[in-house]
Amino acid sequence: MAMENDFLSRLSARFPGVLENLEEHVKNQYVATVPREKLPSVIAYAVKSLGGRFVISVAEDRQRTTGDFRDSFILAFDKDKKFLVLGAGVPAGDLTVGSVTPEVPAADWSEREAYDLLGIVPTGHPDPRRLILSDDFPVNTHPLRHEYAYNTRFPYAPGNAPERLKGPEGTTVVPLGPFYPTLEEPACFRLFLDGERVVGSDYRGFYNHRAVEKLADSELNYNQVPFVAQQICGICGQVHSCAYCQAVEDACGIETPARAQYIRTILLELERLHSHLLWVGLAGHIIGFDTVLMQLWRIREPVMWLMERITGNRKHYSSNLIGGVRFDIDENAADDIRRVLDKVETEFKAVVDAVSIDTTLMARLKGVGVLSEENARALAVVGPVARGSNVPIDARIDHPYAAYAQLGVQIQVQDGCDCWARTIVRLLEVFETLRLLRKSLADMPAGPVMAKIDRELPAGKIGLCSVEAGRGESHHYVLTGSENRPERWRVRAPTYQNLQAVGVMIAGQQLADVPICIGSFDPCFSCTERVETLDVNTNRVRVYTKDDLYTISRQKRLR
Amino acid sequence: MFKAKFKEAVICFRAGRVTLPYPFKPAEVPPKFRGKIEFDSRKCIGCGGCANVCPPRCIVIEDLGEVARITFHLDRCIQCARCQEVCPEDAIWPTEQFETATPDKSDLKSDMLLWMSSCQRCGRCFESDNAIDRFHSKRWRGRGPGEENKHGIFPVKPPIDLVQLRPLVREEREDKK
Repeated sequence: MAMENDFLSRLSARFPGVLENLEEHVKNQYVATVPREKLPSVIAYAVKSLGGRFVISVAEDRQRTTGDFRDSFILAFDKDKKFLVLGAGVPAGDLTVGSVTPEVPAADWSEREAYDLLGIVPTGHPDPRRLILSDDFPVNTHPLRHEYAYNTRFPYAPGNAPERLKGPEGTTVVPLGPFYPTLEEPACFRLFLDGERVVGSDYRGFYNHRAVEKLADSELNYNQVPFVAQQICGICGQVHSCAYCQAVEDACGIETPARAQYIRTILLELERLHSHLLWVGLAGHIIGFDTVLMQLWRIREPVMWLMERITGNRKHYSSNLIGGVRFDIDENAADDIRRVLDKVETEFKAVVDAVSIDTTLMARLKGVGVLSEENARALAVVGPVARGSNVPIDARIDHPYAAYAQLGVQIQVQDGCDCWARTIVRLLEVFETLRLLRKSLADMPAGPVMAKIDRELPAGKIGLCSVEAGRGESHHYVLTGSENRPERWRVRAPTYQNLQAVGVMIAGQQLADVPICIGSFDPCFSCTERVETLDVNTNRVRVYTKDDLYTISRQKRLR
Repeated sequence: MFKAKFKEAVICFRAGRVTLPYPFKPAEVPPKFRGKIEFDSRKCIGCGGCANVCPPRCIVIEDLGEVARITFHLDRCIQCARCQEVCPEDAIWPTEQFETATPDKSDLKSDMLLWMSSCQRCGRCFESDNAIDRFHSKRWRGRGPGEENKHGIFPVKPPIDLVQLRPLVREEREDKK
């Protein structure tokens, strides 16, 4: 197997034999099976020393095929534009895997999810509380295993709620939620306050777990999943259905026609356009500046009407199938898009002119919700949150899909690390989006929009796809199956990773700034689509300090 | 500070009034709009293609021997129009109707019963594969004199037993009227 990649050769030099059975199902996506005992140390090394970014872990029940379970970790090597999946087989009799969370804090939720849904125990996890399952779900029952049908009714078992964290001595607990007031979505933050200052927090969410992954691997077929995928989120529906389709197409080697790729790109960019406009308005709303909300949403509305005209629905475009898209964008529609873009650009420029010098906004956003670059990297946050913290990652550039490789995306990075930086990133990205839209409309080649698929899709192939949504990178993992449906489909929405950074972001903030801190990463609890609990502060901060101390002491020794 | 506020005021004043008179005047929908689905029981051949592709399973087909019952649970419909895409007879299509709010969920359910050919061995229904058989089968429904369907059948007038069958082919919405 190709060893020309620096990170692969370094990994096999450090752990000889570990990459023995390296497979490349899709170009630039490597899959390796690692001995179970070595898995945590290999991942910690790949993340800490080789610069891999933790994307998500995937737990699988493979009892139907190989007879065991499997726990895989997806790492992204953004500079090399590659993905590496490191997985280990876990025998059904001994479902344990060493936890990587102490070394790689970004893996926190995903390891707890693996326990909740499949029963793979992360030994040594600092906070192994219940994450996904509801408070009245029976213990030792793991619903994603194939032994349970998708419509199984589990017995009512109250009293299994995860233990609530206790705040430090002398603090007051203030609940924010479960019906979170600014975003009208279910999530519960318990804030520990010392006076007005937040010193810690505890999060419980995932109240609306919809079990879409279970549906996909037991009920739906390949072409039904895109329509369920687009219902994951009310804003980035196209992102999810597109990511799923591209993952399957990659895994099965289906060539999507160039025109279909451009149409996907156009729809994705239009979605980013209205998503960013929506966010800027919402940010204004959260800090009590409702003029911004009203005006931005007024500017956004023509984009929604445009989507309705070209796709047939404001939000759920239903455009993607495996192999291409369902409708064409003809010359009339293209003119229509250009007209709307011109209008949005003029109006948005006026807003940016006003908002970017507004000292009221700056007073509320500058220096608020600081997420330092190290923390942003350690927690593997994505999208505008990462780019606002000076981490230059953008799936459109790092892992090009659809027509982005031909379009040449310019990345927007700010080093302010606060809510203001995230706002600026989004404002600038709107202009980049307008440019990309015009370019893709001009460059769009003629031809069919759907590939001919005249054979069964092969089973046992792994496809990965990252799609940059307005909120950040959405990642889909698909293992193809034999019954005309994926054997395993794993979705990692951007908020899943970003929400884990809230604890760090709001530590030390004033209570009144908490909503905008949470709002600043454009949370979408429906994206996260499960329940969880985040241990936040106390533990996490201690871990960092230890890290910092190690680093400092090493530096001193070197001197 | 004042400069920004002034600019913001200009944006607001320039926008003027943008509220639509919607509940008082009907909202127009674009031509491609996918609204509530509508079906024509006279065109349907009971092939079950729509039920097969429907992602939310809002179209359910039941095989009741000589009769097939197709139920549309429109409360589950996600308006993707996949049914229209696969229908060989153009018997189902999305309409412009989007105001489906109702106090009674059963308003959103409609079904139709279709006479099918049935297998003499297993008793299950199937679609006859040649035009002559189709013409003679009990489940065949013409489209009225002079209309041709996709199979090239060109009926002058419907066969007699079809007239007797009509009451079985019902649409709930029509019943309510």
